[in-house]
Amino acid sequence: MENVLSIVDMHKTYPGGVHAVRGVSFDVMEGESVAIIGSSGSGKSTVLRCINRLIEPTKGEVRLRGEMINTPNADINDVRSRIGMVFQSFELFAHLRVIDNITLGLRHVRKMSRKEAEREALEVLEKVDMLDRKDAFPGNLSGGQKQRVAIARALAMKPEVMLFDEPTSALDPELIGSVLKTIRGLADEGMTMVVVTHEISFAREVADRVIYMDKGVVAESGPSSVVDSPQTERLKKFLSSISEED
Amino acid sequence: MSETTISLRNAPSEGRIYGYFILVLFSVLLVSIPAVAQEYRSGWDTVESGTNNDLFSVEATGDEIWAFGEDGIVLGSQDGGLSWSPANVITSSDLSMSDSGFGSILAASSDGTVIIKFESASQWTDISFDVGEENIRGVSLIRNDSAIAVGSNGSIWKYESETWSDYSVSGVDLLDVSFLDSERGIAVGDEGAILFSEDGGITWDYRDSPSEASSSRIIDIEFYSDIRAYAITDNGGVLKSSREISTQVGFLWNMQYFESEGGSSNLGVNLTSIEVATTNKFLLSGSGGYLSMSKDGGNIVTKQLIPVDNLTSFNDIVMIDGFNGITVGSGGTILITERSGEDEQVGFEVRDFSEFGSFVDYSKGMLIDGLYATINIVLFGIFLGFFLGITLSMMKTSPTTLKEIAEKRSLNLVRLFGALALIIGFAFLNYLVPIVEGLGLDGWEYIYAPIGIINPGGITGDLQFENFAYLIFGVSLILLGSLFISANGEYKKSERELFGRTVSWNPWGVRPLNFIATIYTDIFRNTPLIVQFLFIHFGIQIGALIGDPAAELLEGSTNFIATFLRDDILSNRACVSAIFALGLNSGAYQCETIRGAISAIPSGQMEAGRSIGLNYMQTMRLIIMPQAIRICIPPMGNEMVNLVLNSSLAMVIGYSELTRKAKLINAVTFQVFWSYGMVLISYFIVTWTLALILRYLENKTRIPGLGISGGS
Repeated sequence: MENVLSIVDMHKTYPGGVHAVRGVSFDVMEGESVAIIGSSGSGKSTVLRCINRLIEPTKGEVRLRGEMINTPNADINDVRSRIGMVFQSFELFAHLRVIDNITLGLRHVRKMSRKEAEREALEVLEKVDMLDRKDAFPGNLSGGQKQRVAIARALAMKPEVMLFDEPTSALDPELIGSVLKTIRGLADEGMTMVVVTHEISFAREVADRVIYMDKGVVAESGPSSVVDSPQTERLKKFLSSISEED
Repeated sequence: MSETTISLRNAPSEGRIYGYFILVLFSVLLVSIPAVAQEYRSGWDTVESGTNNDLFSVEATGDEIWAFGEDGIVLGSQDGGLSWSPANVITSSDLSMSDSGFGSILAASSDGTVIIKFESASQWTDISFDVGEENIRGVSLIRNDSAIAVGSNGSIWKYESETWSDYSVSGVDLLDVSFLDSERGIAVGDEGAILFSEDGGITWDYRDSPSEASSSRIIDIEFYSDIRAYAITDNGGVLKSSREISTQVGFLWNMQYFESEGGSSNLGVNLTSIEVATTNKFLLSGSGGYLSMSKDGGNIVTKQLIPVDNLTSFNDIVMIDGFNGITVGSGGTILITERSGEDEQVGFEVRDFSEFGSFVDYSKGMLIDGLYATINIVLFGIFLGFFLGITLSMMKTSPTTLKEIAEKRSLNLVRLFGALALIIGFAFLNYLVPIVEGLGLDGWEYIYAPIGIINPGGITGDLQFENFAYLIFGVSLILLGSLFISANGEYKKSERELFGRTVSWNPWGVRPLNFIATIYTDIFRNTPLIVQFLFIHFGIQIGALIGDPAAELLEGSTNFIATFLRDDILSNRACVSAIFALGLNSGAYQCETIRGAISAIPSGQMEAGRSIGLNYMQTMRLIIMPQAIRICIPPMGNEMVNLVLNSSLAMVIGYSELTRKAKLINAVTFQVFWSYGMVLISYFIVTWTLALILRYLENKTRIPGLGISGGS
């Protein structure tokens, strides 16, 4: 199996001096879905953003299919178009209709014609079950619908790997299901993905591998079964605190 | 789908009503432009000449006035021009030119006939000579018994000691000549020819005529005094030469631009002669019943009413003193004036309006003209300001720092660039050193140096904006160069101990585009708008700098928009200045408004745009700006209303907008409350209309389901 994404000794210190990530390394294989879990402030979102350089890592390497992407000379726009990203707060373009949200990247990055782009867009909208709302404005969608559109927007670019940054944290509990179903569908199709999540059940059921981060380092990683049989004290503590909340 | 329909339904229907309303309002404003009756009478009176022959020329010397014309007619008047009697017939040739001075009077015909009446002689003497193939076009006395005549193909003849000698030059047809004294004289002619003689007409040198006149026929010249000479072209141009610090009159010639003709250098009439009454006051005559006068050296040329029909061609004017004058023309026309021909306002008094209705009737035309002028500068000002605002706000929010620019390059390249920048920067400043030294500044006076280096020569010198550019680039390049050359590859902020405290600064964090935009907005937001108006109009003269060349580009175009731009906007210098002053100023404020809106867009939108592979500019253009503009429509509305209200300041540069019109109406009527009250209402209509348009736009562009709308 090919190594799609590899992160080697990543560090990030924010301008204020906060050392959020302290030497994280992991690889993501073709078709693998990796869940990153951890408490707030453990640096998991920072790692995700450093991968497509929305945040510049202070130190370390990020490789996409072996190609070093965090050098000043890398074509960052091309790199980003190969990495799909889904945000916690959706970040749909509020002034554009659903379908235009999706065609924007296709037309201006992939240089497709409007017609071509719309055909692609309808395809991905069907995949996330949002075809009937293609002409709505994001402001008129529910949170779950918005997140599915956001997934479709990332998916339309045919990325080599998808990054999900707490895709369900901003959703009401009853809306989480539809989004998780969509993500699970993608995983089943063999999409390579890294999911930062609080949903332990999702990590357990969907992820091939779980990485537990604490205080900027990988505290434990292994197959998804680790969430049921944690090896370290820290993960045990974290998992019990989650179940208390539930 | 259904939700979308509901939320959209409100906006268009309400908008449509606004739309219709605005349409009707504007149609009413633009269609109803009535004529305003003005009661004036001509400052000229007709005098009986006793002849129907065309009169070509008129002279005054001592108490005598003489007119010359067709078939050798010579009319004399001893009573200041009230009554005329013919002199004994001496010649039957058309006496088409004449000159007086040193007590003598001279008249000539193109065929070589020349008659002279010497000082204190009672009879005319015939001093005709053989001109061969050529003909005479202009004559000038240089002493009481000596004269110069010029004519076709560069002919120049001098009459001295009762004989004519030939001093012809090769070249174009000469059309007129004028001598200030027995030595200094100027001859003019075809193709803008100007010749100067300093030895009584024996040798002549060509002088440069202004480029605008280089292909014109200069038909009349008056060498008025040591400090001023005027000439005219037959197609309606006036040339002016003044004494300047190091050069005497006649060296440098400038085309006069007429404020009264919208800044044009062409009066649009066929001129026949110019008569200079004082250094700054002259009268012009022309065909088609044209008489006009300027009291300010030609900035404002006012056409005069005449008491005869418009078919009369006026051929010559003579001023006996500053106010009394005589003009002669076709069909034996002689007019006389005691007020330099200025129109007389019949029964001028404070206009008495018994009812408001008749006052409104009287003033509405002027107000509507003013409104139209105001709308012109406001519309163009808004466009200019908006364009600038968008550009500047993008510059201000640009995230690229020097660090990012440098990091992408190798350290050696950065240092090499630093060295180059230092060299170029020092070269620029080095160039400026003698200029700054030449200014003679001392101590704190150096804060005014930027103004001094742009215009070191004062009012007679050119504006050298390149010097200012050298200053700015010089200083910036030296700062940038010293930073880059000292690069060590870390691009970190520096820290220093200063007075026991740690001071840190981060030159690598400077964002160059932001820096430039900040300088711009700081300048325009920290100086009063009225001073900006004055500086741009009178100081920079942006109308001559930008308006005129732009109007020239559109020359000959017949397209409706092009002709409007050329005739109504670009060739009116005050209008161009007003547009720039309003636009540049408003741009600085709009920039801040738009910047505020940009920073109100969640940063996640930028991240989302970048995450699908759009570059920074694409994300700004496709995602951030469309949303930011919607957010800033209400504050932009305020800004535009401000711009309309600020447009009233254009009156200080003489632009005839609404407020200035009100002032003029008030000057004639003294109806203070009525005049200014009507202006108040007119402004309200314009700004309120604008506010309605913006409200409509705001509804139209509202993003469904986004933001708190207030329920409209």
